Amino acid sequence: MTFRHPAAGTHPAFATPSYGSTALRAPKLAPLSLAQGPVELSGPRFDTSVLYPHHDDMTRQSTAAPLGERIIVAGQVRDENGHPVPNTLVEIWQCNAAGRYHHPRDDHDAPLDPHFNGNSRVLTDAQGHWKITTIKPGAYPWRNHPNAWRPAHIHFSVFGSSMLQRLITQMYFPGDPLLGDDPIFNSIPNDKVKERLISRFDWSLTQPEWALGYRFDIVLRGDEATPAN
Amino acid sequence: MREPLTGSQTVGPFFHYGLAWKPGEHLFPDPNTPGERITLTGTVRDGKSELVFDAFLELWQPDGAGQFGHPNQGSCAGWGRVNTNAQGVYVAQTVMPGSVQGAAPHVMVVLFARGLLKQVVTRIYFAGDARNAAEPALQSAGARAQTLIAQPDPARPGVWVWDVVLQGDHETVFFDL
Repeated sequence: MTFRHPAAGTHPAFATPSYGSTALRAPKLAPLSLAQGPVELSGPRFDTSVLYPHHDDMTRQSTAAPLGERIIVAGQVRDENGHPVPNTLVEIWQCNAAGRYHHPRDDHDAPLDPHFNGNSRVLTDAQGHWKITTIKPGAYPWRNHPNAWRPAHIHFSVFGSSMLQRLITQMYFPGDPLLGDDPIFNSIPNDKVKERLISRFDWSLTQPEWALGYRFDIVLRGDEATPAN
Repeated sequence: MREPLTGSQTVGPFFHYGLAWKPGEHLFPDPNTPGERITLTGTVRDGKSELVFDAFLELWQPDGAGQFGHPNQGSCAGWGRVNTNAQGVYVAQTVMPGSVQGAAPHVMVVLFARGLLKQVVTRIYFAGDARNAAEPALQSAGARAQTLIAQPDPARPGVWVWDVVLQGDHETVFFDL
């Protein structure tokens, strides 16, 4: 099998002038076309040995609950042909409710939460589904342009069944007023693809008297020879 | 009807705790893995030749016999994740990969960093391997093929050096796969 190439406009261009850090890091030369080989077409397999206590609940990884609005986030990893991607590793990380990352280089003047680390790791089930509990991340300023603020977001890293499905992305929240001016969100050319990065509020995931639920499905490249479901 | 893919977004500067992996620098922790033990190391530089201190590389390869992921080595044998340090240096411990289906042995590299809105993907070949001469990936790179070839460090036996230049003169060849 081989993987279909992403449609034009799916992923951002390397050189995206509105995101300043691309200026010296975006390759100038176009990537060379190459046939997918047996190394790229395979990939690592992760099992439950890589999970840790409360790996799917960022609100229970400390001795007390973190501050902020508790939320549930869930979704399915599937390929573009509609086939679930089972038993694949999803790594998730984010800042705390005040907009501060538990990272030594984050110098934003907002409090760290001693009870919130902000990382999670899940394996999808047989139907590609995953679910976590966390705290709604805060917006935070960055120095990309005057008065720049990142919309609230959660980082996702997904493997898939082949290293050619490898994806790192960010999930946003519906109705965030910062989305329209965020150079990273808006680096994606295709509006439908952009929309897919915004989670949907979901009553069916919402637990009464506990937490609001948001759905975030992730769609990876699929076999170009397989007809869609 | 196919669905649109999920688009890529940068890993950002603050990924280290979210993607911490132990032992990320050891691709084959099992000492009985077939193949000659080697160290792969190098620097990552940007378009001004500045060292990139907040990148990470994922390496993926078969063992010395050309086999992927031995079950007795843990399910992710052959895969590693290494961050660049404050000096822009990464270091990985692995084995010399074997050939798969007759191709010149190589390691797949997927590199993420702040300022990269999507990963760059490339391959590491090894200097002196006779199979390199007929390798389509190296041929397609022409004069730039040297950027894909790790060189043995004469001062450090078993150490192979492969550097990444994200942009500018001597820019590393990246592939569209």
